[in-house]
Amino acid sequence: MGELILKNINIRYGGEPVVRDFNLEVRNGEMVSLLGPSGAGKTTVLKAVAGLIRPERGEILIDGYSVQDLPPEKRDAVMVFQKPLLFPFMNVMQNVGFGLRMRGEPVREARQRIQEILALTQLGGLEYRKVHELSGGQQQRVSLARALVLKPAILLLDEPLSNLDANLRQQMRELIQEIQAQTRITTLFVTHDQAEALMISHRVSLLLNGRLRQVGKPRELFYRPADPEVARFFGARNFIQGRVKDGWFQSEFGTFQVPQGFTANGDWLTATIRPEDLRVSPDSQFEIQGEIQKINFEGSATRIWVRCRTTEFVVLTSEADFFPGQNVRIHLPPDKIRIFPPDSKEFEKIEEI
Amino acid sequence: MIGLARKIVAGGVVAAVILPFIPLIMWSFSNRWFYPDLWPRPWGTRAWEYVLGIAGSQITAALGRSLWVAAVTAVMAVVVGTPAGRALGLYDFKGKDLVSVLLTLPVIVPPLCVAMGLHLWFIKLGLAETFGGVVLVHLTFCLPYTVFVMWGVFSNYNLDFEDQARSLGASTLQVMYRVMLPLTFSGIVVAGLFAFLLSWSQYLSTLIIGGGKITTLPILLFALMGSGDRPVAASVSIVFVVPAFLALLLSARHLGRRSITGVR
Ligand SMILES: Nc1ncnc2c1ncn2[C@@H]1O[C@H](COP(=O)(O)OP(=O)(O)O)[C@@H](O)[C@H]1O
Ligand SMILES: [Mg+2]
Repeated sequence: MGELILKNINIRYGGEPVVRDFNLEVRNGEMVSLLGPSGAGKTTVLKAVAGLIRPERGEILIDGYSVQDLPPEKRDAVMVFQKPLLFPFMNVMQNVGFGLRMRGEPVREARQRIQEILALTQLGGLEYRKVHELSGGQQQRVSLARALVLKPAILLLDEPLSNLDANLRQQMRELIQEIQAQTRITTLFVTHDQAEALMISHRVSLLLNGRLRQVGKPRELFYRPADPEVARFFGARNFIQGRVKDGWFQSEFGTFQVPQGFTANGDWLTATIRPEDLRVSPDSQFEIQGEIQKINFEGSATRIWVRCRTTEFVVLTSEADFFPGQNVRIHLPPDKIRIFPPDSKEFEKIEEI
Repeated sequence: MIGLARKIVAGGVVAAVILPFIPLIMWSFSNRWFYPDLWPRPWGTRAWEYVLGIAGSQITAALGRSLWVAAVTAVMAVVVGTPAGRALGLYDFKGKDLVSVLLTLPVIVPPLCVAMGLHLWFIKLGLAETFGGVVLVHLTFCLPYTVFVMWGVFSNYNLDFEDQARSLGASTLQVMYRVMLPLTFSGIVVAGLFAFLLSWSQYLSTLIIGGGKITTLPILLFALMGSGDRPVAASVSIVFVVPAFLALLLSARHLGRRSITGVR
C-alpha cells in the first residue's frame, strides 16, 4: 500500500512562504510527477513529505494516517536526493544496505534483498566497488537502489535524471519507469523538464512559484492547460485576446467557437495556439498577413517569429525555406485554439514573466 | 622533471625533520662531549643505562602521566571542539566573529600569562596541583586548535548526507555515529593529533598549575637538563619525541587537504 495525500500545505523558510496551499493526492501504485521551474518549491515539498522540514500549516497523510509528528526515520516515505550522496566510506553493497542496517534487519535477509535490488537496478557485479569508482549513472542507480531496497510506501525522487547527460538520461528514465511498473511503488517524481514529466508519469502536477497550478494526465496539461501561465510553461507562446459574444470568441485574428460550458458573455478572454499548430505560408492562401522577424533553425523544425500588426506569433514548422523580412500569411486552425475559462489569469499578468 | 623536483623537495622535508635528531642521538650515545670536538669521545651507553636503569621507573611514570594527560586532553578537546566547530561551520549566528577572536586569545596571549591568571582561580576551585587542573589548562591551549580545525571541516560539510540518512531510516544518534563521524573522521583525527601534541609538549603551564606535583615528561626533562648532564637529557629527549612521532605516523594517512575539506 502507498497512498499520499497532502492537504493545504504551507511552508516557509523564515520569511516569504515558499509553498502555498498545496493540495495533492498520489494514489496507490501511481507515478505522479511534480513539475516546475527551478526554485518553484519542488524539493521543499518532497522534504516536507519525507519529514525533513515541517510545514507551517497543513496535513500530510500516508495510507490515511497523519504523519505530522513522525520523524523522517519513522515515515514510510523515502526521499532520493538530486545528488547521489553515496557514503564515500562504504562500498556499493554497504550503501544499498544502509537503511536495512539502520533498521537492524538480519544480515542474511538483508543480503538477499540487496542482491535483488542490485539486479533490478542493473548493478549486479558492482557490490564491492568503491563509490568513487562508479560512473555518474551508476551512482544515481545506487542511490535509487538504496531507497528501493527499503520498499517504502512512498518513493520520493528529486530530479534523479538532472545530473545525467542526454543519452544516460533516457536510459535511466526508462529504467525508473520499468521499475515503477514492475514494483507498483507509489512515486512522487520531481523534475523541471516538461518532456520528462509528460513521458514518465501517470499524472503531472505543475508547481509555479510555490503554488500548484494544475494536476492531470499528461495530455490534459499539454492540450488543455488551465491558464495562460500553465500553457506558457508547456511552450505556448501565442496569446490573443478577444471578446465573447453569443458563443463566439471574437478577436482581430478571427472568430472562433467557444467550447460548451462557457457562460461568459461580453467578457474579454485570452486564447492560445501552440507554435506547432499555427500554419504559415508564403502564398496568399491564408487570411492573416505578417512579416518574418527572426528564424531559428532547430533541426527537425524551424522556429519563425512572424509579426502581424502589433502581435508577434511564434510558428514551429517543418519547412525550412523562409527568410527574415519575408511577407507571409498565417492561419489559426479553429480546432487548435484553446480559449481559457474566464477565471484564469489575465493576459497582462503573464506578459511580465 | 616534476618527479625529480618532487623527490628533492621530499628529501629536503625528510632531512629537515631528521637532521636535528642526529646530534641528539649522538649526544645520547656519548659519555662526554666537549665543545671543539666534532665527535663525542668517548662513545658510550652511560646515558641510556641511566635512563633505562636507575631513572627508568621515574621516566616510565612520567611518560605514562604525559600520555594520560595528553590523551585525556585530546579526547576532551575533540568532544568539545567537534560540536563547536559544527555550529560555527554550518550555521550563521550573531557574535560568530567575536567567537573567532575569543578563540585566538589563548593562542596570542603568552602562555605564562594564561597559566598564571588561571592559577589563582584554580587554587580557589581546588584544581591547582591536580590532574584535572593540568588537563584544563592544557585545554585552554588545545581547544582553539581543535575548534578551528573542525570549523574548517564543517564549513565544507554537506548536510544533505545527514538528511538522506535520516530519510533512509537512521535515527539522530545513528546519523551521528554512522554518517557524521565517518565523514569527518580524518578531520577529527587531525584535530585530536593537534591537541595531543600541544598537550604533550606543554611545560610552563604544567609546571605552574601542577606545581611540580604532576610530573609529566617535559617537567622531568627540564629537571634533568638543569642538572647539566647533556647525554642524559638527550636520551630523555628521544624518549620524549618518540611517542609524539608515533602519534604523527599513526595519523599520517588522515593528514592532508582531504581531511580538512570534508565531503561534498
Ligand atoms: N534552506 C533554505 N533556506 C531558505 N530558503 C530556501 C531554503 N531552501 C530553499 N529555499 C528557497 O525556497 C525556494 C524553493 O526551493 P526548492 O524547493 O529547492 O525549489 P526547487 O526544488 O523547485 O528548485 C527557493 O526560492 C529557494 O531559494
Ligand atoms: Mg530542487
